[in-house]
Amino acid sequence: MENKDSILKKSLSLFGNAFITSMTANSGYAIVSVLKNKYTQKHKWVSEEEMNDIVALCQSSPGPIAVSSNLMIGFQIAGPIGAFASVLGCIIPPIIMMIIVSFFYNYIITNRYVRIFMQGMQAGVIAMLLDVVIGLFMNIAKKREVFLFALMIIAFLYLRLFDLSIVYLLIFMIVAALVKTLIMTIQAKKGGKA
Amino acid sequence: MNLLTIFLGFLKIGALAFGGAYAAIPIVEKEVVQKGWITYESFGDLLAIDELTPGPIIINSATFIGMNMLGVLGGIVASLGSIVPGCIISTILILLYRKYKKLTILDNIVQALKCMAVMMIFSTLINMIWRSIFGSALSLATIDWLILAMAVISFIVIRKWKPNPIFVMLACGAIYLIVFGFIFPA
Repeated sequence: MENKDSILKKSLSLFGNAFITSMTANSGYAIVSVLKNKYTQKHKWVSEEEMNDIVALCQSSPGPIAVSSNLMIGFQIAGPIGAFASVLGCIIPPIIMMIIVSFFYNYIITNRYVRIFMQGMQAGVIAMLLDVVIGLFMNIAKKREVFLFALMIIAFLYLRLFDLSIVYLLIFMIVAALVKTLIMTIQAKKGGKA
Repeated sequence: MNLLTIFLGFLKIGALAFGGAYAAIPIVEKEVVQKGWITYESFGDLLAIDELTPGPIIINSATFIGMNMLGVLGGIVASLGSIVPGCIISTILILLYRKYKKLTILDNIVQALKCMAVMMIFSTLINMIWRSIFGSALSLATIDWLILAMAVISFIVIRKWKPNPIFVMLACGAIYLIVFGFIFPA
């Protein structure tokens, strides 16, 4: 980062780009690809490799990809101030938009025809969610790992059979992943000696 | 009900929503609908609205629910609560990245969390089908055949032509409105 632009100038640019992409792009990954183009090609503030690492890293963070990616990109380009500017830029548009939408929703939802229309849309929501579930499932299934199938079955049974907090399931998943990492490391060491 | 309760409620949702955009939906269902903060009907509407508007599902949901409960300030507080955990963890991750570059251990954790996320969304989907199509009862009399037919056709259309789901949803709404609003008004 031998670029001479000041932190302030970079932060303003980060805020602006975060703001605009947040209004136009419809998914976290779409936002990342637009930002990647801007910051690696146009400004050359980060390298392409750094951007790819950040995209991978985002997935380890809870909450929206849009927020975590903007935060990490902003931090990488202009430190904490850049991170703050980016996050602020990407959350203002959805919050304002939803305030307006919620206002209208409360105003019109009592209307009988609106109610029927919204009810009909549930069919589309169900179809879309089914498509999402299949997409995610295939992504995991193509790895052909018994371990991952076992985790999915455990998660499903936990969710359907017990009315317990998701926190315990989350902790179980992380512990399982750590145990797997440990076993892989031990096996790699054994394999190395043999 | 006060601002702090909403903030903490969405802080928890924000901390649990691992595994991409749709992962937030089942957690909102579990944390918000089951607590009675909004009705199941509003939750269904919210999912449609989430799809119709840009912006992350978790922020949209937080603003919508917060605003329904405590007005504009409630919406803002809920949204901020929902992103705080992600911001903290992202900051830690980027600092670790700047120091160590590669963090291979994270790959296994991400994969395990994705297994959880897909089943959580699947579980929410089962609940939605149970309510919207079966009318929460195991009887032929309560099945909404039109919703069932539209859901099947929408699914085929989405898989085959990959249109923007917004249009599919609006079409479903329009058909349902024509049938039950004008042709066979109850």
